[in-house]
This record gives sequence, C-alpha cells and structure tokens, in this order.
Amino acid sequence: MGSDGNCDNKGSSGQDRTDSAPHEASSGGWLVDRRKFLALAGGLGAAGVLSATLGPRLWEDFFGATPKSASVVKPSTALNSVNITRPLVVVTLYGGNDGLNTVIPYESGVYQANRGPLAIDAARVLPIGDGFGLHPSMNGFEKLWNSKKLAIVQGVGFTNPNFSHFESMDIWQSGVPGEPVSSGWLGRWLDATNSSPLRAVSIGPTMPTLLTGEKVQGAAIPPGKLVLPGDSVEQLLYATLSQISSGEPQLLKEAAAASGNLIQLSRQLGQTLSRTAASDPLHFSGTSSDALAVNGGEALAIADGGGGQSAPNVLATQLSIVANLILAGAVPQVYSVELGGFDTHVNQQPIQEKLLGQLDSAVTAFVDALDGTPQGHGTVVMVYTEFGRRVNANSNEGTDHGWANNVFVAGPSVKGGFYGEPPDINRLQEGNLVFTTDFRSVYATMFEKVLDVDPKPFLDGTFSQFLIV
Amino acid sequence: MIAESSLSLLYRRAGFGATSQELSAARALGYDGLLSRLLQGLYKSDPAADAIKLPEMLKPPFYKPGSLNTPAAINEFNQTLYQERVELTNWWLGRMVATSNPLREKLTFFLHCHFPTAISKVRFPFYMYRQNEIFRSQGAGDFRNLTMAVSTDPAMLIWLDAGTDKLPDPNENFARELMERFTMGIGTYSELDVRSAAMAFTGWHLNSETGEFAVVPKLHSNLPQIFLGKSGVSTGKEVIDIVTASDACARFVVSSAWSRFAYPIKPSDPLVGDLALKYLTDRNMANLIKTIFEHPNFRSVETSTGLIKQPVKYLVGALKALGVSAAHLSSIKPPIINSLAGLGQVLFDPPSVGGWPQNEYWLSTSAALARWRLAHQLSLIGDISLVSDAPSAARVEAVAQLLSITGWSSSTLSALKGAVSNPHTLVVLALVSPEYVAN
Repeated sequence: MGSDGNCDNKGSSGQDRTDSAPHEASSGGWLVDRRKFLALAGGLGAAGVLSATLGPRLWEDFFGATPKSASVVKPSTALNSVNITRPLVVVTLYGGNDGLNTVIPYESGVYQANRGPLAIDAARVLPIGDGFGLHPSMNGFEKLWNSKKLAIVQGVGFTNPNFSHFESMDIWQSGVPGEPVSSGWLGRWLDATNSSPLRAVSIGPTMPTLLTGEKVQGAAIPPGKLVLPGDSVEQLLYATLSQISSGEPQLLKEAAAASGNLIQLSRQLGQTLSRTAASDPLHFSGTSSDALAVNGGEALAIADGGGGQSAPNVLATQLSIVANLILAGAVPQVYSVELGGFDTHVNQQPIQEKLLGQLDSAVTAFVDALDGTPQGHGTVVMVYTEFGRRVNANSNEGTDHGWANNVFVAGPSVKGGFYGEPPDINRLQEGNLVFTTDFRSVYATMFEKVLDVDPKPFLDGTFSQFLIV
Repeated sequence: MIAESSLSLLYRRAGFGATSQELSAARALGYDGLLSRLLQGLYKSDPAADAIKLPEMLKPPFYKPGSLNTPAAINEFNQTLYQERVELTNWWLGRMVATSNPLREKLTFFLHCHFPTAISKVRFPFYMYRQNEIFRSQGAGDFRNLTMAVSTDPAMLIWLDAGTDKLPDPNENFARELMERFTMGIGTYSELDVRSAAMAFTGWHLNSETGEFAVVPKLHSNLPQIFLGKSGVSTGKEVIDIVTASDACARFVVSSAWSRFAYPIKPSDPLVGDLALKYLTDRNMANLIKTIFEHPNFRSVETSTGLIKQPVKYLVGALKALGVSAAHLSSIKPPIINSLAGLGQVLFDPPSVGGWPQNEYWLSTSAALARWRLAHQLSLIGDISLVSDAPSAARVEAVAQLLSITGWSSSTLSALKGAVSNPHTLVVLALVSPEYVAN
C-alpha cells in the first residue's frame, strides 16, 4: 500500500461479511459505498489517522461487519476486472511429488517392472478409467472424480527438464522457462491489474514467488486471530512509520511497504480472520486456525511443512482459513497454500502415503465445504509440484528427480475428467517421462477461465487451453 | 562512511550488533583493531557462552527397539523430542546473546545457512547439536575438511539420504545437493556427474544405533566413474576433494559468504572472481571472512543498506540491546521458537536444502505482524531505562543510541516524536522501524 493508493480495491472491498449463511447472498460479495471507501483508503496517513481516531466500534460501522442490504450493490462494468465469483486456490507440493504413484498406470508391465517393490499393486489402486488408478490413500479424490469435480491434466512439464528443486520450482512459480525471472505468474497479474496486495494472499509466515510482482506483492496471512498489538495511538504511529519516505534505500522502502500492507490487511480482513479463527469449515477437528496451538504454535507447524513425524494436517489448517475467507465473501481472489516433504529418495511408500492422505482429505473437505455456496461454488483448486520422479525406482525404495507430472484441478464447478495426453511410459528420455503438455497451458486456462483475463500479457506466448471450468 | 557507523556495521555483520557500551569501547580500537579482535575470537575460549547449559538430549539409539509400540508411547517420545528442540533453540540463541566471540557464533549461523539441514527430517535434536558443534569448531578452517566433516555426520547423512546409499541404483539426493547447494552451484556440472557421484557415495552408512559413520564395502561400488572430467573416481571422499578444489566451488563459497556478510551477489559477479582467486590459495574460511571485511566494497552504503536482518539476527540483536540475558530466554512464554516461526525462520529448521532466501523473503505482511508482537514482548521484558530515564526531548536520540541507529527517515522520525511520552511505545516503534529491520 502506501504510495499505490490502493486503487484497484475501490468499491470491491467485499470485506467482512458476517453472513455465513450462504444462501441469501447476492452474486459476488458486497460493496461498501465507494466514496466512503476511497476516503478511507486514499492514503495511508488518512487511513491510519481514521483507524486510530474512529476506534474499533466506529470502524466496524464504517466497514460494516453486517452489511445492510441497501449497501449491497452490484459491481459496475467499470469494475468488472474485479470478479470474485471464481476464487483460485493454488496448492504447491514442495519436493516433487511422485506423480506416477499418484495417478498410476497400474496395468502397465513397464510400470510394475520399473517400480519393483514400490509399484502399487493393481488390486489396491482406485481405478478411474483409461488404465489409471489413484493412490490407495486418495478415496476423497476418487469421490470427487466420480462426481466429476476433479480434472487431471496429464503429462505436464516443459522442454529442457530441470532436475534442481529450486530452478524447477522457480520455473513453475515464475511461469517462465529458461532464464530465471524474479516475478511470479500471478504476481505479474497483480502488477498489470494494479491490484492491492490483498487480491492474492498466501497463508503462513512467508510469501511464495508465484504471488510476487515487480510492483505489487501479495499479502501473507498469519494463522489465528489477526489483532494488532498496542493501543490506538501506537497503531496510528505504526501507520505513520510505514509511510514510504522518498529518497530512502530500496530495502527500507520495502520494509515500510510491508508494514503498510499489514495495516491494510488488518483493516480489510482483520475482523473476518478474528471472527472465523475458531471455526472449522472443513470439519477437521483440531485444524481450525487457532486450534493447533496458541501464540504462534500454528506458524511453527506450518513452518515445519507437514514433514514432521507427528505433524498435523497443516494443509487442512491453511485451507480452512481460505474457506472461511471465501465463505465470508472476502476480497482476495487468489490464494496460495502449500504442503512439503515430497522429496522421497528413500523409503517413499509410507511418506508419500501419509502426505497424499493429507492432500486428499484437506482438498476434498475444502471442496465439500464450498460446494453449493454462492460465494464458493465457483472456486477452483489447482495442485502442482516442481517435477515428477524417475520411472525406475532406486535401491533405497525411493525415486529420484524426474520430469513430466500430473496437475490436479478440483472444484464444485470444475468439469472433471482427463485432460492432456498421458506420457508414453515405453518412450522415456534418460529414464524420465517426457512431457506432452506445456505447463503454461494450465496457467493460460487459469487466467482465462478462472480469473477472466487474457493470458497473453502474463505468459510468453499463446498456449492452448482446456475447457476445465 | 564515518568511523562510528563502520564500527557499528562491522559489529552487525561480524556479530549480532553491539550494545552502546561495546560500541564506545570499540572506538579506541578503530576498525582494524576491532576486526582483528573479532578474528582472534574465532580461536579463543568462550566461557560466557559455554556457561549456557546444554539441555539433556536423548542420544543414539534414542529408543529401545520395540518400545515405541503404542500411540501413547510414540506421542510421549515426540513430546520429549519437541521439548529438547525448544531447549536446544534457546541454548543456541543464548550463546549468540552471551558470547564474547560473536564472530564465531555468527560464522556458525552462516554455516547453518550454507549447509541447510532441517530437524523436521533429521528428527533428533542431538544430531542437530552435533552438526552445530562441527560448524563451531571447524567452521573457521579449511572448507574441504569442513565439507567432509559435515557430510559424514549423522544430521547430513539423514537429511540427504546418503546414510543409506546402496547398489545397484543409488539415490541421487546427496550427490546432487552437495554440488548444487553446498559447493559448486547449478550449471557447473552435468546430470551424468550427478549419477557418477551418487555411485561413488554408495556404501556410505549411518549406524542408527551408535550414530557412527562407515563405508560398507559390500554396498560400495568400486567401479571407476568419470566425474567432472576426471576418470577413475570411485569414492565419496574423492568426489568431495574434487568439488571443493574446483574454481566453481571457490566462486560459490565466496558468493555465499559475501551475500550473507555484505549484500546479495551472484557467483558470476566480477567482485567474486577476484575474491575467489585469493580464496583458492588456501580455502580457509577465516581468511575469506577477513578478506571480505577488509574489502573496500564492504565499508559502503551498498553494504549497510544491503540486507534485511534475518529473524534470528533481529531477535538476538534486540535481546542484546535491551539487556535480556541468555538465562532469561528459557523463561519467556510462549517459547521464543514460536516467535521465530511467525517471523519465518526457525533455527535448525530451514524450509529446504535451499535454505532461507534473503531480504524480501523477510518482508511479508505476516512477518510484519510477528515482528510487531515480538517488539512488544521484548519492550516489556527488556531494560529500556536508557530511554525512559531520558527527558522526553532526548528520548528519540536515546532510542537511536539504544539500538545503534545512526539516522531516521522523515516518516520514522515523525512517528517516534509522537511517542516520546511513552517510552515503551517508543522502543516498540524503533524496533519495527525500517531502519532497524534493515541491517
């Protein structure tokens, strides 16, 4: 915030609906009176002064925890770039999930022979047709598949495979193969739409590259209640301090901007986050935002990435926060969540089984929670990882870094089924599955079909799309 | 730069920042004198830090076979490990606060960032402690020996799966990351080199009952490999000798150190080339660090405004400035490890073998909130008498002295001036100011 004046959010700050009864809502979030909002958001100083002088009571009246029906207006056409009817949730699996043991070509003799003891027995897979079956721990995905709410894009990757976790993930998150660029594929969208940082948010302490633009960085939402420290005077002075002073070194400006973004985050989503921190829309006992532990324990669990032996399902915790925000009609349109621990060079079977089980139960519960709700029915979840793994298992009952993989797309309104072409397991390159679908086809689809924008400015070229949504 | 701010800069980068007393004492020494004292500290005993009590930790074999046979037993075991982890974190933070040889603890921290190894997979705090002691005792010496010691130590053997490597199809995890993340950098080797190196590491074995390393002959491939253009390579030791002697490694290590002690830089930068030539003459880490701190580009505005403090540095610097003793650390509730998690940097638990990124990575909205909350906590337990005892009109000056800050931006200054009537608020605001958050 600070200098950007928060232009894009004008009028769209559909923040803080208390209305959790989904069926009486209008098309897409509610809008505060635009002029009132601009007065508040016009500059950090003004907003800071107001937030401090109005106090929480008046503040709530202004931004309205409970919107009156009169204040619910439809977006004008001038504002149609802000369309929150299709939230996009990007799930990053860090480490390189073994796609071949996730969507399994269980009838293939080549698969069984190469994987040896790691091959999943044909009797245990959950068949989904075309000779493929899901990993046995993915009953939820099987259910989504059967109700046509799960799409699987096969053979996704890019030319010149990169076997480094970090370069491969950089390529995925930037959306640019070859020379690395620092902006993310959704970060460039934030830039181009001159968005507020709240339009794309991640859950947890840090911000992934995919939501980082050259000008705008998405906001990172801490788990738990969002209550600013200090009294109103201190908060006012904090806002003053976060104003960017011209002529300061770049990093100091960025540090000030982060504090400014926090003020904005608190103002627009604080009430919603605090009100919903104890609710548990995914019906996972113990995974509501503030149930894991008090005072930062949940951040520790997320920082551990779910890889720990007795770690709770941190993906469910993150998705529960996302579900609360979507159901509240909150302003973010794009969400980033993550699960780590997929780098299974050794003893893959129990590790992958546990992690896929967490992915399965969290995503399934998330889709169920939003299904049929006016705010959430259009939600699209996209699940990807940096690369697939080598077809031949190693001698440690694990697998090494490989190439092509599947991308999952799930949601209540997704058109389920297979998309793309499965890689030919009989024609490997250096032992790896060769990609058939450029990963930017998936991104082009997300831009056009979910975010409702022309993908071309954000991707280097034109890529075919899928009619997934 | 004026002399005082370069002393302060050196204390920040070669340590965790100076208290105002330390800074006044350093004035008599001058920059070169202070640097030479900090470098001598690499080899001196450290009674102040050694007085911090090491927590009791389970040692290998950690549990009796068959004893973890009920969910309750497993849960109790995990609770024990978690408690050890909290205490070990306090132990290291305590050392950083108490040490009279800050460069050694800082170098230890740098090496933790250079060889990122995470307890989320290693599991046992005792193994993280062992690795930490390698960094502390061997970190200032020869980089090849250090790499060998770290590689054959349990934490790394578990973390990158080398401790179970075997024929005929070895896993490639350690072979790849050794070259990509620790020694040479991506683009300086081929996929065939990865596979050759993996073959050379076959037979490496961690005995899970004793924690001892061995090369098991019957699991080791004696087949000579071609590795980085050299033929006849068949042992893991040879691989480590070759990679650590390479020009690519010199550039990589130099850029890693410059990036953490001065400001982020790429291995391809010309500055790295010059330093790498010098480094290659002895591959000695203490000498490399000395060269960095003596380099004309180090004492520059580019350096002094080139880093955002990593959370651990931020925390330790603030604890020192506010006079919170190491002994006090373990009584802080909730445990300080939770604050580190909120800030995004948990000691002993980097997010991946890629370690922690720098600068912008620490500037999320979520971290801004965690920092503000931590500043509150610290202002309440710390000694802020330097500020509160000063008359209102002198308090902005006093808080600058407390935190060794040499200048404020106009926004910060106007915020601080608004808080002179409340010393706690003033200290909190100074702690979250861009000037303090940056280095």
